[in-house]
Amino acid sequence: MAEFLQYVITGLAVGMVYALIALGFALIWKSSSVANLALGQLVLISSWFTYGMLVQAGLPYWIGFPLTIVFALFLGWVIERLTLRPLIAQPILSLITVTLGIGYFLEGLVTFIWPMSVAALPRMFPTEPFQIGPAVVSQEYAWAAAISLILFGLLSLFFRYHKMGIAMRATADDQLAVQACAIPVTRVFSTSWMFACVVAAVGGVLVSLIGGITFGLVETGLKSFSVVILGGLDSFIGCMVAGPIIGLAENLGGGYLTPLIGSGIKDIIPFIIIIIVMVIKPHGLFGEERIERI
Amino acid sequence: MDLPCGTRNFDYARDMAVLRTKTHWALFLVFLLVLFTMPLYLSKYWLGVSNFIGISIIAALGLNLLVGYCGQLSVGHAGFIAVGAYTTAVLTGNLGVPFLLALLCSGIIAGLVGLIFGLPSVRVKGFYLAITTIAAQFIIIWIINHWSSVTGGFVGISVPLASIGPLEFRSEGSQFYLIMGLTALCILFSKNLARGRVGRAFVAVRDNDLAAEVMGINLLYYKLLAFFIGCFLAGISGSLLATWVGYMNAENFTLADSILYIGIIIIGGLGTTLGPILGVLVIRLLQQAIMYLSPLIESGFPVLPAGFTTGIGPMVFGLVIILFLVLEPRGVAHRWTLFKAAYRLWPFSY
Repeated sequence: MAEFLQYVITGLAVGMVYALIALGFALIWKSSSVANLALGQLVLISSWFTYGMLVQAGLPYWIGFPLTIVFALFLGWVIERLTLRPLIAQPILSLITVTLGIGYFLEGLVTFIWPMSVAALPRMFPTEPFQIGPAVVSQEYAWAAAISLILFGLLSLFFRYHKMGIAMRATADDQLAVQACAIPVTRVFSTSWMFACVVAAVGGVLVSLIGGITFGLVETGLKSFSVVILGGLDSFIGCMVAGPIIGLAENLGGGYLTPLIGSGIKDIIPFIIIIIVMVIKPHGLFGEERIERI
Repeated sequence: MDLPCGTRNFDYARDMAVLRTKTHWALFLVFLLVLFTMPLYLSKYWLGVSNFIGISIIAALGLNLLVGYCGQLSVGHAGFIAVGAYTTAVLTGNLGVPFLLALLCSGIIAGLVGLIFGLPSVRVKGFYLAITTIAAQFIIIWIINHWSSVTGGFVGISVPLASIGPLEFRSEGSQFYLIMGLTALCILFSKNLARGRVGRAFVAVRDNDLAAEVMGINLLYYKLLAFFIGCFLAGISGSLLATWVGYMNAENFTLADSILYIGIIIIGGLGTTLGPILGVLVIRLLQQAIMYLSPLIESGFPVLPAGFTTGIGPMVFGLVIILFLVLEPRGVAHRWTLFKAAYRLWPFSY
């Protein structure tokens, strides 16, 4: 029982972080219908940047983290401006492959600057674990879940009330109408990329506080694709619902199937979920089903 | 402007011929002569590079049929190559099946695995399909790593040399003939498939699959056929790779390789048979250049960070993919046709 509760709680917490990273994907998809496959590498590079700031440059938290956010904003702006802006209205194949190229480049950049390939961020949260019933949970998980939830709340408020948020929702709805209303669509695109990079960065820092910085972070980014697929590509609620589901499936499945099937099953459960969703309900739980016309 | 001035089409067969003029034939024969005498004057190292180029061309041709012609994006090509490679390794190494049969089986099994993961393509496309194939890549590699009673797991598996009857392909030079022969066959197959009925159906599906369906093209059949043929060629390439390398584990087939193959066909030019060949040449020779130059640059400039040699490769490839997509989305093959048109008109500009 204690084991079960343990898996459930870690699963929920990790799922929240997946949901946060997936939100970064949904943001870009909604406003510009670009599928960002470089998500994992964005997570990776911002975690390493945080490491560079906190450990290598020895900065305190209150300077290091804002700098990471600024870096993420800058990265998002550069990527949108240099690679996706020239490709507006190109076939979807180019849009997907260009993000693959970006991911490849960023991965090279990471090995270029930080060749050690494994590192740990300094501990930020108190270390003593706390108890929920019979389960023992380390505090990092709770913090990660809480921060993800807060950020999600802030973002929903932003989309609900801020002028730019409303513009972004409108762009997602109808680009032509938005342009007619004199909303700068290109600025909406770059804002969505900047936001996506920031959520990826926060998610990356939370994951690497738990598990250290490794190339596994790229896989974390890829796993959050299963969140978007399950939740539906263009739905924020879908991300928030599907994230914990994926986290639960991963941890429960990893916990109970490993003795039966073998180690490492945990890491491919999200991918198996992708295949299943694809065959049964490709538009996900909350996604909008588009009817195609010629 | 793809033909010299004064070339006329008197009948359909001549219209459809790949080699049209006497100059074409002469150049082609010279090229074949140079290609097949290469083992006489190339060093062992460069023969190895050409073998790897040949193997990559087969895989890239398959991906090009799938992505370039049929428009079904697959980011798991390295996984399907792995299926072919391991099939050959298990069949020839553990079960003692003759190489040619194993080669065929590798292609077919890789094709069937491709069919399984291509099945969602009937309902979804674009990004969804990309994600499905990424998932395929991870699942295939996981199975290879954990089915250790058959595949050797993380340790890897050794593969016997290729042999046809009493003939054993032991040296790099003899493997060159095997690989180049098969590559030539695959190029011919892919060229003819692409300009036949199947290829035209693929193009129709790529351009607008709904419209294609309305015109009477069986979407299920042709999409799955594209997956089968694309992965069949991947399997053949993997089989050759396995016997050429001799020893391998799943580390040889990463997601990065899959992305690199997409990069190859984009750089070469999607939807042309020449494209994958040029793309493979560009990328593999670039790899050689980086391998040769980066230690020199690193020793020349001690200020560079320690990860320079390992990091520069992916950086350059990523950059090349992005630049080609932004600046020349039709690839090197398009530049080649422009060049041909220009020299035929020279000294006039049009």
